[in-house]
Amino acid sequence: MRRPDWTGEPLVHFLVAGAVIFALFAWRGEVADPSSRTISVDREQQAQIALGFERMMQRPPTDAELDSQIERFVRDEVLYREALRLGLDRDDAVVRRRLAQKMDMLASAQAETARPSDAVLHAWLRAHPERFADETRYSLDQLWFASETAASMAVEKVNGANDWQQLGQPISLPASLDQAARDEVLARYGEQFLAGIDRLDPGEQWQGPVQSGFGWHLVRLRARKPGEPRPFSEVAERVENDWRTSTIAVRREEAYRLLRDAYRVEIAR
Amino acid sequence: MRNGMVYAATLVAGAALLAGCDKATSIPQEARGDGEGTIELAEYPDRPYWGDTHLHTDNSIDAFGFGVRLGPEEALRFASGEEVTSTTGVKARLARPLDFLVIADHSDGLGATRRLYDAPRLLIRDATLRRWHDMMHESPQQSQRAVAELITAAANGTLPDGLTEDPEAQAEATRDIWTTQLETLDRYNRPGKFTALAGFEWTLMPDGNNLHRVVMFRDGSNRTRQVVPYASIDTRVEQLWDYMDAYAKKTGGQVLAIPHNSNVSNGLMFELTMPDGGAMTAEYARRRARAEPIVEITQIKGDSETHPLLSPNDEFASFGVAGWELGNLPLTQRATPEMAGGSYIREALKRGLSIEEQLGVNPYAFGVVGSTDSHTSLATGDEDNFFGKHTGNEPAIKNRSLASQNLGTREGRFGWHYLAGGYAAAWARGNTRAEIFDAFQRREVYATTGPRMVVRLFGGFDFTESDWTGDWVRAGYKRGVPMGGTLKDKGKVPVFLISALKDPDGANLDRVQMVKGWVDASGELHERVYDVVWSDMNKRARRSGKVPAVGDTVDRSTATYTNSIGAAELRSVWRDPDYRQGQRAFYYLRVLEIPTPRWTLYDAVRFGIKLPADAMADAVAQERAYSSPIWLKQKKHK
Repeated sequence: MRRPDWTGEPLVHFLVAGAVIFALFAWRGEVADPSSRTISVDREQQAQIALGFERMMQRPPTDAELDSQIERFVRDEVLYREALRLGLDRDDAVVRRRLAQKMDMLASAQAETARPSDAVLHAWLRAHPERFADETRYSLDQLWFASETAASMAVEKVNGANDWQQLGQPISLPASLDQAARDEVLARYGEQFLAGIDRLDPGEQWQGPVQSGFGWHLVRLRARKPGEPRPFSEVAERVENDWRTSTIAVRREEAYRLLRDAYRVEIAR
Repeated sequence: MRNGMVYAATLVAGAALLAGCDKATSIPQEARGDGEGTIELAEYPDRPYWGDTHLHTDNSIDAFGFGVRLGPEEALRFASGEEVTSTTGVKARLARPLDFLVIADHSDGLGATRRLYDAPRLLIRDATLRRWHDMMHESPQQSQRAVAELITAAANGTLPDGLTEDPEAQAEATRDIWTTQLETLDRYNRPGKFTALAGFEWTLMPDGNNLHRVVMFRDGSNRTRQVVPYASIDTRVEQLWDYMDAYAKKTGGQVLAIPHNSNVSNGLMFELTMPDGGAMTAEYARRRARAEPIVEITQIKGDSETHPLLSPNDEFASFGVAGWELGNLPLTQRATPEMAGGSYIREALKRGLSIEEQLGVNPYAFGVVGSTDSHTSLATGDEDNFFGKHTGNEPAIKNRSLASQNLGTREGRFGWHYLAGGYAAAWARGNTRAEIFDAFQRREVYATTGPRMVVRLFGGFDFTESDWTGDWVRAGYKRGVPMGGTLKDKGKVPVFLISALKDPDGANLDRVQMVKGWVDASGELHERVYDVVWSDMNKRARRSGKVPAVGDTVDRSTATYTNSIGAAELRSVWRDPDYRQGQRAFYYLRVLEIPTPRWTLYDAVRFGIKLPADAMADAVAQERAYSSPIWLKQKKHK
């Protein structure tokens, strides 16, 4: 059976979940209004209290201990309601932030634990192919010179020379890279060099000088191949990582926007 | 009132019902394991891979309290080159990604502060814990105060019951966090591209003396899932090694430990005796050597290479020493001069030779790495991107260089004593868990204080200048041993092939030095620092035995420098001029950059702060790399 599309909408989940809570309140007969002066400690509530005790003490409470715990619970509940009545929850930075955080958590909780379907991830890949494409790959030869003048003077000599490898100054950098990924070029020659060769057109001629953090280079950029999109099977986990982090942020923002739209905000300028 | 989390759970359950049961996306098999056989490997290690072996996330008991809200996932995204938003709202992305990362959260109370923070106040019985809970919710400043108290309590052994001593609940929580984390690591582990290694920090700290170790695994979740991080409370280091041995035996995997911050151990990290003061046994020395092949020599909390007290003739010995030298981690005990020997790495390497002479085994024959020990989930190591020791001193905070530290400010430790952190470089044949780990295991690794210099060191007996004209790296491997290796003394002078290439996007190099330590015929220990090769050697001739300073281009008013001095690469073939047959010795390189601004100077310019004189004098420094040593070994011992 196929569910209609709208059931997959996170915002629908958010609203439905809100309705569920409301229904739960109603069904449990719990009064959201703190002005009620009835506190009922039912069996289930007592079990919760006993469990809390057990977690701390590594054993269940005796009857007397349970009674005293219930008394403590009632005391806190009385003071809590009176505090609400006096409006002590207002202008309290801790309460305010805590509740705001809970709302954020509600909005994104599902995305944090969900296992998205392949269909969702395929769509994600189609929407952002560039994030999962291969890196650009470079094939190049280079010669290093300490000064720009030395590099410029060597250009003519290098073009057409078979022994080009002997024509630069010595440095422990690879003279050639074949099909090297962009990050590899970056790691070996640095940012400045990479930016420099990105301005060159590939070809069989020596070009330059190109500046790097080391000095000056003559470069034969044999090929620069832009990365190809990868099939889903090879990047599935990266797609999922990306989907998850983006989705958490988006859901929080969407949920917030939904609520925000009901407000008129006036900021004095 | 019912616990709000009950409703949250209901809500999530309701949402999950609507979402239905989705098919799980599986992590590729090759990302789950140790990476063997997944990529094509180079013939020999052909480039250093850069990483951080010591990063804390919001699962660390102190990091969370300091305010960090980024977890392992964000840590991995950031290290691998993606943009994240820091806890204080600053967008951050590494200009150059790292190649590997070890997330090393404290095993003690893993996730405990987050649980304390999230716990319903009602359930917190202990008055101290309740107070910390309230402080953590009150404000970031109060939260940092709470954690400072917590660290002091941990150091003094006065942590309240209930934070860590509910063993079952803690064990369950630890297992949950560990299992989740291992899966996250597998999801970000991409053989050939980025290596995500499992680890944790074992935080032993008797009386506040720092004996911490980072524990690092070679394996994927199929093996690491069979154990949980080992807590340090009420344990001894031998028990950590027992745990590691048991892991290897149970799973067939491999694991090693990396001691760090010996500089705040008050002499206890590298003792000549057993921890209980008795004579060191060969068994202890052997176990230590096997479990701990690497130590961390530099990180945010200072540099542990050596101290002017130990190396009075070394003019560069005081880097990253100020503040940290005062005493142990929480500064509950001041340091005395006789403690220095057990606190610094060069001296430990020397002690190792001496112990080897007596016991036949060297417990301190280790290689070195740098790392961050950052508690922000962000593995930043550079001066111009220092994201702080913890969230309480992220870069948006104006006076972080002057502000008090959480530990020991009354005694004189301030924000500006923090270094920007270091990185680890591993010479490996490819970027996989197995290759990176094995480089650590054979000590073919080195440390930097942040810059990515490429440092090669080969030791042999027949290297000559003519090796430079050919494939000298191949020659190094064929006719010698790389850093971390051992040469057998055959009565010939050891000769070293040395190359240091500057960070392509960093400062030029001032000089390369060889640090030699040895034990003489009478059993006495010695050290000497040789200037091997430096920039503009023809213009900078030695004067009364010393190489003149390289100069200083740093403009203090703008926090800028120029590469108009120094060299792009320094190379040399170096023969030990003081070789004596039969001498046990070690040799390691120290590579110095030209002076550059420290993070404190960048901050001073950005915020218009006037630094006090001592901080200003320290605001420009020569960043450096330390290689792992090569040892000259003798056949027999006395």
